[in-house]
Amino acid sequence: MTAARGGREAAAGPDAVTALPTVAAPLGTGETERGLGVCVLPADAAAKTQGIFPYAADLWAEGLLWAAVLRSPHPHARIVSIDTTHAADMPGVRAVITHADVPGDAMHGRRVADRPVFAHDVVRHHGEPIAAVAADHPDTARLAAAAIIVEYEVLEPVTDPEKAFAAPPLHPDGNLIRHIPLRFGDPAATGEVVVEGVYRIGRQDPAPVGAEAGLAVPRPDGGVELYVASTDPHTDRDLAAACFGLETDRVKVVVTGVPGAMADREDPGFQLPLGLLALKTGHPVKLVATREESFLGHAHRHPALLRYRHHADAEGRLVKVEAQLLLDAGAYADASSDALAAAVAFAAGPYVVPHVFVEGWAVRTNNPPSGHVRGEGAMQVCAAYEGQMDKLAAKLGLDPAELRMRNVMATGDLLPTGQTVTCPAPVGELLKAVRDAELPPLPSADDETEWLLPGGLEGAGEPGAVRRGVGYALGMVHMLGAEGHDEVSTATVRVQNGTATVICSAVETGQGFATLARQIVQEVLGVDEVAVLPADTDQPPAGPSARGRHTWVSGGAVERAAKMVRTQLLQPLAAKFGMSVELLTIADGKITSYDGVLSTTVAETLHGKELWATAQCRPHPTEKLDENGQGDAFVGLAFAAIRAVVDVDIELGTIRVVDMAVAQDVGRVLNPRQVAARIEAGVTQGVGMALTEDLRTARGVVKRPSLTGYALPTALDAPRVRIVKLVEERDVVAPFGAKAVSAAPVVVSPAAVAAAVRAATGRPVGRLPIRPQTAVARQV
Amino acid sequence: MSTYARQTGSTVTLPASLDEAVAALAAMPTAVPVAGGTDLMAAVNSGLLRPAGLVGLGRISEIRGWQYADGHALLGAGLTHARMGRPDFAALIPALAAAARAAGPPQIRNAGTLGGNIASAAPTGDALPVLAALEANVILAGPDGSREVPVSHLLTGMDPLRPGELLAFVRAPLLHAPQVFLKATARTGPGRATASVALVLDPARRGVRCAVGAVAPMPLRPLEAERWVAGLIDWDGARTLDPQVCTAFGEYVAMACIPDPVDDPVNPVDPTGPAGGALPPAVAHLRRTVAALARRALGRALS
Ligand SMILES: Cc1cc2nc3c(=O)[nH]c(=O)nc-3n(C[C@H](O)[C@H](O)[C@H](O)COP(=O)(O)OP(=O)(O)OC[C@H]3O[C@@H](n4cnc5c(N)ncnc54)[C@H](O)[C@@H]3O)c2cc1C
Repeated sequence: MTAARGGREAAAGPDAVTALPTVAAPLGTGETERGLGVCVLPADAAAKTQGIFPYAADLWAEGLLWAAVLRSPHPHARIVSIDTTHAADMPGVRAVITHADVPGDAMHGRRVADRPVFAHDVVRHHGEPIAAVAADHPDTARLAAAAIIVEYEVLEPVTDPEKAFAAPPLHPDGNLIRHIPLRFGDPAATGEVVVEGVYRIGRQDPAPVGAEAGLAVPRPDGGVELYVASTDPHTDRDLAAACFGLETDRVKVVVTGVPGAMADREDPGFQLPLGLLALKTGHPVKLVATREESFLGHAHRHPALLRYRHHADAEGRLVKVEAQLLLDAGAYADASSDALAAAVAFAAGPYVVPHVFVEGWAVRTNNPPSGHVRGEGAMQVCAAYEGQMDKLAAKLGLDPAELRMRNVMATGDLLPTGQTVTCPAPVGELLKAVRDAELPPLPSADDETEWLLPGGLEGAGEPGAVRRGVGYALGMVHMLGAEGHDEVSTATVRVQNGTATVICSAVETGQGFATLARQIVQEVLGVDEVAVLPADTDQPPAGPSARGRHTWVSGGAVERAAKMVRTQLLQPLAAKFGMSVELLTIADGKITSYDGVLSTTVAETLHGKELWATAQCRPHPTEKLDENGQGDAFVGLAFAAIRAVVDVDIELGTIRVVDMAVAQDVGRVLNPRQVAARIEAGVTQGVGMALTEDLRTARGVVKRPSLTGYALPTALDAPRVRIVKLVEERDVVAPFGAKAVSAAPVVVSPAAVAAAVRAATGRPVGRLPIRPQTAVARQV
Repeated sequence: MSTYARQTGSTVTLPASLDEAVAALAAMPTAVPVAGGTDLMAAVNSGLLRPAGLVGLGRISEIRGWQYADGHALLGAGLTHARMGRPDFAALIPALAAAARAAGPPQIRNAGTLGGNIASAAPTGDALPVLAALEANVILAGPDGSREVPVSHLLTGMDPLRPGELLAFVRAPLLHAPQVFLKATARTGPGRATASVALVLDPARRGVRCAVGAVAPMPLRPLEAERWVAGLIDWDGARTLDPQVCTAFGEYVAMACIPDPVDDPVNPVDPTGPAGGALPPAVAHLRRTVAALARRALGRALS
């Protein structure tokens, strides 16, 4: 019924659903590495680099219709009336739907069901969906959507989060989404040195390489199948089923190639109209968002206003940290509660602070919605507490690295939430590694290679106006969901004819889970050929691909299942030779006993057998932060230290990040190439946050929602990323002892860049992204 | 039934000569010329423009190169940025070559053309300040023959492109003297100008001509500053200036292009305020940027 427009179309039978990133064995890349700790190539690497990997936008089904969504041009308005008659009468239009056509729950939400499928009484943000159209051509659908007549009574938008507290409620749930006060230690404590600062963080967009796209196919039983780039298929299915008024078993979510995996894949406002239109028309319906819609539809990083006061003694040891954290949640709750918990808990950073007092709020506004973007909450506060550390160092006349060194946290210390840090926390070691790393050389006048100045090759940069700055940042982030989320995952491993298959609905988003699953099975079972099946909701849930979960929970489940298969495989042999299974080892496809007497191959032992096992992994439970912000809320923590080197044209305020030296706490390296790739990606995203990425609004209206208006780092902006140290201290509670690696560099690098720009310009740099006018030196 | 055909039923013609192109436009007045398509197709894809027909200019070889004509160069409107960026062209009109090399990422420069840049007339069009500083003319081909207009008249709307007319050539003087184009952007990778300055020396006329791009809808010429600085240069000697003169020139240019707000009795300008008086920080920064660019441009032209 559906077929890929990608490279495998020819191979697909007429009824095969083939536009799925079947992650099979390596594609003859000459790759011989296998098992854990080595650079196994992702199975889809070749297809992705050749541009033939099928993403959701490549899906196609016979007789499909095209959808378009009508979105609000206003950030805040009352909907007086919606007239769809003109649109419905247009030739080629098959269905027009509004809130009146939602058969099930009118509201949805990942944490709180506070968001309508289609706005009906009030519009709460620019770009909120109002109606959707299915037609026989994408242009027809767009024109018809534009022909829907909506009468709005425009209301005053609330766009300043500080004013949200007193503003009339924008939603029946009120404007305060969450308030967390944190009280740790003695409020009366004071230090000899006090520094204060205000920090503002802009709105970073996930800006995925592929905009949202999907296909909905109605089923003969009245159900529907959604082919979407979901990163949390079971939650998406449950949300969809509730809104469609269907039993969950009549909605199936099939995961297609995922081009980017943050809030951009968590916008049900995209998937729900698609399914509703398919159900209404009885035809497959395809929706491909424009870049503009992509910017308007999905959630962004929480803009934040952070006020800090740090107290230290004369030697620079921290005494007390006081902070007020205000996160702009935008119109709906989404992941704001989680982001706020991380912001509050990590408000003082990876430092030992005896007294910490924080007030954190996430408030509702008419700004674009905020949600899950790597390191949410943790990234914003890192920029602020590291800014404070620089201020303290300046005030005390200490080297910024030295000041930090005097305060670093270690295993056994307490977080301000009262939770003991039980995992490895090699913060001092990380800082030392970046501090001692060699600095990149300064370009010399007789240097043959051209000096890439801030502003680029053809820019206006002038060497005489360029100052180099070096800055440090340390940071931390939690892994897995926090505050009592059930983080379970399930996996099945099957072995037959010398080939293993992994069935797990953990979505491969490019983070490398499928490769890791292959490596685990190769390691445990000694089988070379391992296929990881594509994810869908017919499989047991594995939870979202976020917060570094899958290495831990799904990797753990795969390992357990593989070990159960291993026991099944070895049991008969062990019984035959009268020894226990533990005395047999599998290596290089061979089974050998401890004494070397028995030696056979895995293939031979497997011959004619089919072995199955299913297992779950569920990390230890966590608890919600209480009314004083106390509680064991996190399963695991990861730390990183980064030293940034920047060049600033101090007259133009243009900045180029020259070099980022990264030291990271990774627990254990399971695939060196993937670890390096994740760190490079995270640092680049952090550099974007530091320098250019800010989705600007004017009174709630998004300005220039395009990749021209929203400047992502290009190859010329991406710095040299040098991984100077990976600390491999195994986390005993994590499967394989490995920690997630993606989020920590995103959390830390913006703060490091800001510190380096401070050093180059002598300016305070309290706002991210850094505006050119704040990066010009005072005395020009 | 599908509505597909109805909406994409536009005609595309691919004339091989300017005359054919003009005729094609005359035959279908609702058709739109397209060169590299880097501006036009973005407008089509976003639904801003639905041309009834397209006249593709890519096969008109006579406008894809340049020729010499008594001290001038006749530049074809179909010259791509990539072509203009090459060394042979840079030897001819260095500032235009520099602007072409700065005009977007390689993919765009391979397709985007000089004519498209002028016709689009975006404030951030990088060729425009250079053409303004060169005091170049454009040669327009239309159903009633061709005519020549100063590029500034075209850009200010004094003498716009008429229906059925095509931009055929640009007539640019060959000055045989240093020229500079400098562009400030928000990132190190390719980006639109936040401000740009083109500066050319014209020893024959003992002139310095300067144009500032991206700060206004069209390039601005700080004529007084040009005259002032040209008067200080020893045209028959070493053609150098004291660095302080360059700085003063930069500030002169910046003040001319980004003037102080007109005095408002309700909100009087505070001369004791932060640098730039009562200018909002972003505007003050823009002025500082223009001053730095103009100073650097003059310094490089004279070095
Ligand atoms: C990602 C990106 C980055 C860019 N960066 C820059 C940049 O840094 N600097 C910059 O200056 N520009 C930039 N541009 C804009 C664009 O590439 C240039 O303006 C280019 O010169 C346009 O030329 P074109 O041939 O593609 O024009 P087209 O898109 O083909 O045409 C543009 C307009 O001009 C008309 N037209 C074209 N040729 C003629 C003619 N001979 N006679 C009459 N009308 C004509 C068309 O009808 C249309 O209205 C960028 C564009 C993109 C997409």
